[in-house]
Parts: sequence; structure tokens; C-alpha cells
Amino acid sequence: MILMFGLLLVCTCLVADDKNKNAIQFNRDIRPILSENCFACHGPDAHQRKSKLRLDVRESAIEKHSIVPGKNAESLLIERVMSMNPEEHMPPEKSGKKLTQQQIELLSRWIEQGAKYEKHWSLIAPERGELPKVKLTMWPKNPIDRFILARLEKEGLTPSKEADQATLLRRVTLDLTGLPPTLDELDAFLKDESPNAYDKVVDRLLQSLRFGEHLATHWLDLARYADTNGYNNDEERTQWMWRDWVINAFNYNKPYDQFITEQLAGDILPHATIEQKLATGFSRNHVLTTEGGIIEEEYRVEYVADRVHTTCTVFLGLSMQCARCHDHKFDPITQREYYSFFAFFNNIAEKTVGFNQARVSEPFLKIPTKEQQAEKDKLLFQKKTLTKQLIDRQASIMFDGQARKSVAELVGTNKLLKVLETAIPANMIMQEMPTPRKTFVLKRGQYDQQGEAVSPGVPASLPALPAGLAANRLSLAKWLVEPTHPLTARVAVNQWWHILFGTGIVETVEDLGSQGAWPSHPVLLDWMACELISSKWNVKAMIKRMVTSATYRQSSRVSPELLERDPKNRLLARGPRYRLSAETIRDNALAVSGLLKERIGGPSVMPYQPDGLWQDVSVERRAVYKQDVGDNLYRRSMYTFWKRTCPPPGMMTFDAPDRETCTIRRARTNTPLQALVLMNDPTYLEASRKLAERVMNASDKDEARLDHLYRLVLSRSPSAAERNTLLSLLAKSRDRMKASPEKAKELLSLGASPRDSKLNPIELAAWTTLCSLVFNLDETISKE
Amino acid sequence: MQPLFDYASMMTRRHFFGSSASAIGTAALASLLGSTALARQDKTVRVGGLPGIPHFAPMAKRVIYLFQSGGPSQIELFDPKPLLKEKHGIDLPDSIRMGQRLTGMTSGQKNFPVIASRFKFARHGKCGMELGELLPYTGKIADEICLIRSMHTEAINHDPAITYIQTGSQQPGRPSLGSWAAYGLGTEAADLPAFVVMISHGSGKDSNQGLLDRLWGSGFLPSSHQGVKLRSQRDAVLYLSDPPGIDRGMRRDMLDSLAKLNQQKMAESGDPEIASRIAQFELAFRMQTSVPDLIDMKNEKQATLEMYGPDVKKPGTFAANCLLARRLVERGVRFVQLYHRGWDQHNNLPDNMPLQCRDVDQPQAALIQDLKQRGLLDETLVIWGGEFGRTVYGQGGLLESYGRDHHGRCFSLWMAGGGIKPGYVHGSTDDFSYNVAEKPVHLHDLNATILHCLGIDHERLTFKSQGRDYRLTDVKGTVMKDLLA
Repeated sequence: MILMFGLLLVCTCLVADDKNKNAIQFNRDIRPILSENCFACHGPDAHQRKSKLRLDVRESAIEKHSIVPGKNAESLLIERVMSMNPEEHMPPEKSGKKLTQQQIELLSRWIEQGAKYEKHWSLIAPERGELPKVKLTMWPKNPIDRFILARLEKEGLTPSKEADQATLLRRVTLDLTGLPPTLDELDAFLKDESPNAYDKVVDRLLQSLRFGEHLATHWLDLARYADTNGYNNDEERTQWMWRDWVINAFNYNKPYDQFITEQLAGDILPHATIEQKLATGFSRNHVLTTEGGIIEEEYRVEYVADRVHTTCTVFLGLSMQCARCHDHKFDPITQREYYSFFAFFNNIAEKTVGFNQARVSEPFLKIPTKEQQAEKDKLLFQKKTLTKQLIDRQASIMFDGQARKSVAELVGTNKLLKVLETAIPANMIMQEMPTPRKTFVLKRGQYDQQGEAVSPGVPASLPALPAGLAANRLSLAKWLVEPTHPLTARVAVNQWWHILFGTGIVETVEDLGSQGAWPSHPVLLDWMACELISSKWNVKAMIKRMVTSATYRQSSRVSPELLERDPKNRLLARGPRYRLSAETIRDNALAVSGLLKERIGGPSVMPYQPDGLWQDVSVERRAVYKQDVGDNLYRRSMYTFWKRTCPPPGMMTFDAPDRETCTIRRARTNTPLQALVLMNDPTYLEASRKLAERVMNASDKDEARLDHLYRLVLSRSPSAAERNTLLSLLAKSRDRMKASPEKAKELLSLGASPRDSKLNPIELAAWTTLCSLVFNLDETISKE
Repeated sequence: MQPLFDYASMMTRRHFFGSSASAIGTAALASLLGSTALARQDKTVRVGGLPGIPHFAPMAKRVIYLFQSGGPSQIELFDPKPLLKEKHGIDLPDSIRMGQRLTGMTSGQKNFPVIASRFKFARHGKCGMELGELLPYTGKIADEICLIRSMHTEAINHDPAITYIQTGSQQPGRPSLGSWAAYGLGTEAADLPAFVVMISHGSGKDSNQGLLDRLWGSGFLPSSHQGVKLRSQRDAVLYLSDPPGIDRGMRRDMLDSLAKLNQQKMAESGDPEIASRIAQFELAFRMQTSVPDLIDMKNEKQATLEMYGPDVKKPGTFAANCLLARRLVERGVRFVQLYHRGWDQHNNLPDNMPLQCRDVDQPQAALIQDLKQRGLLDETLVIWGGEFGRTVYGQGGLLESYGRDHHGRCFSLWMAGGGIKPGYVHGSTDDFSYNVAEKPVHLHDLNATILHCLGIDHERLTFKSQGRDYRLTDVKGTVMKDLLA
């Protein structure tokens, strides 16, 4: 162990090695240096530009003699970065930036080689490159592998062998559905000797309705979905039908271009369906304030800014929000262009209204659930019948006791209809105002400092909007999915790669701009982007390519040498191994214990949560968490009610975001609070008991039970050493439980599910502790 | 090779890469690696934090922030305006308001009658600091504190204002002050969280502004730096207690087995993250003892308890939280944040204000004295204040049971301890306590100064998110040298 820690310290810089062997590439080698150290004062932002020098444009740099191509000694850039005079030295000390010797050398070599510039790589449309030649021709299973292998061979590395069947099945099942394989699925796969056994598994998983749920869970972070409004009052909202729309879209493999178009502009599509209008809830998921005394316009502007930020981050991978108060400092986006983009989203008539406890903002769409629709139909029919009766009687001037009764019934029916109408979920959507609201540049981003008027448009550094269409959200969506758009497809495949491999090909999944990371495999990224477009934006097909690649199927076992060489696994000479997401950790426990209740969609649910958390923070301590009963305690975690000012603590502890703003990448931390949740949260203790019941009912023998337990949770049998450790703990636990049977019973009473009374409580308590231990294993909460 | 040192470097490297950031207890580490070398030095060893931080010698090692949520009125407590006696009832002169914006709660009022404080002011201490009569105990520590009468903020509503002063931005998404401190400095508490949060409810009207998880959230910093709530319920830290049937011996057995199984996995998979997982479980085990120790007051002297006042024995009160704050910093916790709710006096101020003051006055004075007696005040920075102040004019007009609206143009806040000039009043406001007259201190300046006391250059504690280097003070903030000792 100690040896390994030591080796870790030696971190070789793979990219740098690569650079020394090859000619300088501006985008890979030079732009990151200039962007990080120079562009803030000598870049796209005209207002902050010092000495009228911009280094992001070659002509300007040459005109100012900062760069004299081919002549290092005459280039002021080199003179200044090497200067010993603090007055002249660049970057200035105050900036806190400093160039390394290696960076200065790179700059010098670049100037000597002619100081060639390139447009930022992500702004040039991707081209489908040639598949690289490889030596180990037997290894690749599909084109993705050719790119990965070519790089490995260049680095003198070889791929790892394929993960064993069971590990692979668990990995791909968790990745595609967020749930573990069942024993039947495991056994079937292990028995299947056909050459395409794995492909069949992948097809089965992609057809599973859990696939849509799992992919949607990622989308909820990006789309900052929550069940409350956030901000001070943080009331409930009813936006969950939008969440269900996303699940459906992934399950029915809606082409990604339509997925984007409907979310951004479903309402403007010709003959828009209810579903298409509902999809635009994407742009309404932002936080919403109802605090007394706020200035409405100030917040309306914030909401539009949030739409811009989310749209640009999620679909373009650009930090457009940086141009809200001034021109962007790193990317070619002016402040004026920011407000042109803002104009697309500035055209709805917002107004807050309340329905029961919920507060939502117009425009919204009231969509009844199936049950509500049936109830409504029934009441409307009653109303019609009663009304007709009354009209008939009125005509005959016979207003008798029967008529009075009908009137009373009609009043009652109308009242019920009104109650029902209030309870029907109001889904916030986008809907254009007939007369567009004027959009102005807002000076310093302030809501009340209007500058010049602008009309909807996209930044000049990106392709133009499609010709002949009105500049609105629909043409914006069409623009995004044009096959020649440089960003959309790259951003999408990079996000999916990030989900499956743990790190994007561009590590900064949220930023493919000038300050973003250089792609580890640029040609592969472009190849996949082109493939996505030519497959007519087929999401499942692209994900299938990724998970059926030899790259994905590698064992995640890592040797000290490889760990030292590539600690972050950017070269992919091994498979991914890392902790599961908050939702998957809980769902896994519910699934293997048999508690999980699978039902897609519907209003959010309230599983176990410690008392008092909502009161502590809410206005007048009025918000009370009403813990659910029955099945809703055991739904998948994506359905857990998400209160923004006090999100579910078990989820937050495992790095779920608060959903106040768009999050593309969650942190992946490792903390003592996580240990406490796994050890003591009733969720996991109840699951331990149910799992214990399951394994006890499977066999009478400890060894067989242990085997069953491991196969359920980890898809494998325990090793001899593991068996010994567990059996010895079981013996100790039995002794303790026997010594205090009352305590054992208390342990078994945790959770709302009934205890299997046929089982000996002492024995069940001992097995419960063993199952709890298994839920605490690193392997249980990791994919590997 | 020095294995512990190497391990620590590895964790630092992780911090640097931003991929995983684990604050591992040194003691837990020691037990993990079978060494007792570190366990002996618990008190002085830092866990986590960034290399190169502090940037310079700190004046304070730790912070206790006594946040008064809702916006306490400076006019009744800190900013005496004798002229208001004369002007009581007249409309606020336009020359004072200068057309500045008001909240939607009073912007529709026909007139804005000026209301003098119902409460008197008196001078305290050698420094002669003037304080309202509702704060008699605080008066006794006047010579220890630095009162700023010229705080200001642009925000005029609770959510943006409290988010602004705690995170440097009015909109959600940024890390809080405490999480920046924990991220930059790590902690000296081996088996407690680096950043601890406690909430108490005021005796005045129940608070009609909410608190928000983001106030102690870590924003884009790794979530291991978010504040951990210490609660007065059964589990002081969520999920701290073992369930019935799993006693300490059983838990120890379980963790020993767990470590063994995890080590086997690590040997097989080669993933060093598993070592960190083992250490985290050990730290959790230690927290199960250290937290109950922390909240168990039985060893506190009677005199100490009396000093904090009768509420100190009621868990969850401001008084009890003040004493816990002292116990936390004693143990090396980096940042302790208290929130006392209920300061939003839109109406009934004369009835509610005395209740609020009674909640906080004695305990906060006791906290300062207690820290001083123990020699901790010099290295602990204490801050007391809310998200904004209140208007000189009455909300709803000239009423007997008057109230005041939110006011960001000026408000008061006090600091004490490590690095702060004691017995000093900084800045002043106009005759109506409406605008700052002299020496303005913006909340960014305050935050820059707080970080400065901790040895941090606020311009150099940054984190890159979506290509931009973010910092607590956004693009502003000046260290207020006048406030420093």
C-alpha cells in the first residue's frame, strides 16, 4: 500500500511528452497558454483591453510587434514574458498568473515556426477523420477502439484484457439502467456462450424502461429540475410531468435533434401537441422568487439570464453567461451578442399564480393525470345531464322539488369541478407573447440600465441562423441541430462519454470554449459527433457503440505502473472504476433487497428523512416534510421530492447538486458523512434487513447464503478470504444478538416494511448486520 | 520514504486536480496506516487545505460567525440618531433618499414618516462606544469589539441579500464564505468537520424569511467543503448514531471486517481511492465519539454556564450554540457559522426587538469573554451581523407598534478577536441613518477583510469553474486596514 502511495506522487505529463515530439499546434499547445494568462486583458473584451493589444487575433499581435513570425528575438511577447523588470514582466504579478519555463519555450518555438493561428477547435465543424491504423488489429470491436488503441500504441501502452463476464454485466447494467443485474440476468449471461451474448445484453438494457429513467436522471441535473421554486419562500411547484416527458423521450429513443427542438421550441412547432408544449418546461425549470417586496423586473431578467446560461451550457458547451456584463474575456462573444441571444428567451409573459400549496408562473399548461381526467369526464357528464334536466323542466314551467334537488346537485358538481381543476398539475411552459418584448443591452448586466435595442441572433463566430426563418426559439433550435453546427453533436457525445467513462473526452464537459480542456482524443470526438449526426441523432445507437467498444469492456484493474503513468485514466488503457451516483447507490440497495417499487413517473415522493430539517430553514417554520407511506417509500431516487433550499440529505452527501442552477458535472467526493449515511440511515438498515430475509430464505446454510448475498449485491461469489472474514463477523454478531435479544428486535423494527416473522429474529438480526456491512463495501457503491 | 507525508501530498494533489477532495482525519489516517506518529500532534496538524495557503501569517486561525438572519435594525441597536427625536413623524426628506429604490413592500406608501428609536443609547467601556439599551451585556464587551456603522449592500430583499453577503453573489451557485475557508485552509480538528453550521430560532415573531442550504453550500467547490449542520435533535450530525443492536463493540467489529474486505479489494483492483474510503469510515467512527463529547456539557464549570445565561441549558438556543461554538473552535474547527433567525421587524418592532436581543445579548458577550479567558480570542475572529439594516421610516406609516422595512444603504455589524482593532467604531451614516456618510464598508470589503485575517489574499483564493477563476469577492473587495489591530 505504501509503495503505491509513493508511486502516485510521480505524475508524468503525457500531453507534454507528446508535444515535444511534434510540431506545435496552436489550438492544442498555444491557445491554452494565451487564454489562461493573456486574454483577460489582451483578448476579445474590447472594454478591458490594455494597450489596445489583442493576442487572440494574429493581425493585431503582429501589428503591435508582440509577435514577429519567425523571429523570437524581435517579438515583444517573448521579451515581456522573460523580462526581469517587474514593471514590464508579463503576466503582471497582480494577476496571480505565471508562465512556466516550458510554456515560454513552447511560445518561442511557435513563433519561430511562423506563429500560425487556428480558429478555436470547437468552433470549426467536426469532420469524420480516417480511422487510424493500429498494430493490434484483433483488439478493436468497433471504430471507437481504433482511435483509443492508436493513441495507446503511440504511448507504448497496451489495453487491458476484457473484464470478466460478471463484472462487465454489472458495469453495463448500472451504467444503462442505474440498477444492478438480477440473478436471472446474471445466470443467463454467464450461460450464454453465443459470440454476441454481450450485444444481446446491451440491446435488452437499451429496451428496458429503466434506461430512460436513468438517462433522465442525468438530464435533471443539467436542466436544474426540482419540485420547489427555490429562493426565500421555496414553495412547491408541479413540474413533474416535464420530468416524465424526458423519461419517455429517452425510452422511445426520440432523435436528439427533436429532443432539443421540442424542449427549446415545442410551443412554436406547427400544430404543437400537448407533449411538445410540455417539453418547453426545460426553459422554465429555473428558480422562481415570490419573496415579498422584490422588484419583479429584476427577477424576470434573472430568469431569462438563467435560460441563456442553461441553454448555452447544456447544448453549446459555452460559458455565454460571462458576456452578460461585458464582452467575453476568452471566447469570441460580445456583450451585444449575449443580449441578442437573450432576446430569444425574453418573450414570455410571466406572472406568478397559486394553486393550493403550489406556486407556479404563467404561462403554464394544466394537464390532468389519467385519474383526474376520468374524474373530470364523470363530473362534466353529470353537469351536462343535470343542466339538461333543469332546462327541460324550466321549459315545462315545472319547478318542483326534483328541480331543486338537481340545482343543489349541480352546485355540488361545479364545486367538485373547481376543486379538481385546482388540483390538476400546472406545468410551466414557454409561450410567445403576440407582440415581442423589446430586448436591450443591459449595461453591466443591470436590469434597469438599458442600452441599445437588439434583436434575436447568434454570435458571429458561430454559423448564421438558417436563412428564411423568423428569428425565434424555433429557428434557434433548428440552428443548433444543423449538421454543420460545430458544437451541438460534440457536446452531446462528450456528455454521454462522461457518463459512461467518468471523464469526458473534453474533461470540462461544461466548457468547450477557449478556457476548456484540450480533448484527450480530438479525432475520436469528431468521429462520434459526425456519426451521431449521420445516424439522424440516434441516441441509443451512439450509446450502444460506446458500451460495446473494447475500450469500455476492459478490466478496470490497474497496475502501479499504469496508475503512475496515467492516474486519471485519460488514455483508457483500462476500464472505468469509480463511485456510483447518489441515486444509484440508494436504488441499488432498494433493488437487491427487493424493496424497490418500479413505477414510472408521477408526482414526487417523500421517503425517509430525519425530522425537522424543513422546519429549521423554512419561512415561519411552516414547511413540514410529510413522509410517505407504502410503495412511495421505495421508489427510485429520481422521484424523491427535491426541495431546493433543503434537498434530500442522503443525496446531497453523495454529491447531488441542489438544482438551483444547471450542473453538468457532479463532484465525486469521499467523506465521513457518506460513511455515516451508509452505516446508519434507516434506508440502508431496512434494506439490510430485507436483504437478510432474502438470503436466509434462499438457503439454510451459511455458506450458500453468503454466496447468494454476494451474487445479489456484487454479481459474484465471495473469495475464500472474504468468506472467512464474513463468517467470523457473523459468528460475533450472533453472539451479541443472543446476548441482547431485545436490541436485536429493535434493529429489526427499523423501516416500515413488515418483518418476515417465520425467521428467527436473532439469526435475522445477525444477517442484517452482515448485509449492512456489504452495503458499506467500496465495491458495492462503485462500478468496476 | 515517509508514508504519511506522501499520503498527505497525494491528497493535496487530488485537491489540486479537483477530482476528489478528501479531508481525512489525521488520527484516522494514523490508525489506518498503523502509526501513532500523527495522533500525538492532533492539535497542530492541518488536514486538507491548499498548498501555499495561508498566503501570509494569519491573525486569526478560526472564525465564529454569529449571523443575525432577517436584518437587525441598526437604529435601535448600534447607530444612535438623536436628531430623530426632533424629526419624529416628518416625511423622510428627498435630499436624504435621493430617489433610491425601495422594496415592493413600501415603495407604494404615500409617505415615509421618520421614526425615532423607542430605545435609548448609552456609552460603554473605556472607548465610550454608544450602544442601544437592549444590549446591556454587549456593552460590557465594548472594549473588545470593533463596530462598523457604515456597512452597505445593493440588495434589498432577504434571499438576494443573505446569499450576497455569504457567497459574494446575489444569485445562487457560488460557494459560501465558510466553504471557501475550509477549501483553502482545511481544518485542525482531526475528527470533526471543518465547517459547522448551527441554527436557532428567535423569540420575536417567527421568521418570515427562509434560510437556504446554499448559505453553507459549497457551490462549485467539491461538496466535501459544505457546512455540516450540528443539530439539537437526537443525532447532532445526521445519521451519527448507530442503530439499536449495533453497539460500539459491534460497530468496531464491523469496521474491522469492512477494512479487511476493502483492503483485499484494493490489493486486487489497485484503486487507491479505496484507501481513502477506509479512512473515511474510520473518521466516521471517531466522529461518533467526538461529536457526543463535543455536545456533552457536563464538564463545563457552573460559572461558565451561568455566564452564558439560562438558555444555555436548552439545546438549540442561541446561547447553547454560542457555547458549542467555543467548544468547536477549541477543538480546532475552522469555521463555525451560527444563524439566529427572527430579525425581520416589519411591524411590532418595539415588542419583538427586546425578545430578540434577550436571546443573543448575554450569550454573545459571554462567548467573547469566555474565549478571552481561555486565550482563544486572539486567534479567533468573531463576526456579528445580518444581511442588511432597516429603514428609518416606518413601514405602514407612523404607528405606535412601528416596524421598519429592509434597508441596504447602511447597516451595522461588529467584529472581535484575531486581527481586529478592539474598542473602535468605524464609519458613520447621515443624520437619518439612511446613507453612509463616512468610511463605507461594502460586504465585499468585509469578506476581503475576513479572509485577510485568516491569512488569505482574497484575490488569490480562486477556483476555476466554466473557464473562469471565481473568488468570494467576485471582482471587488478591499481589505479594510482601519479595522485591523
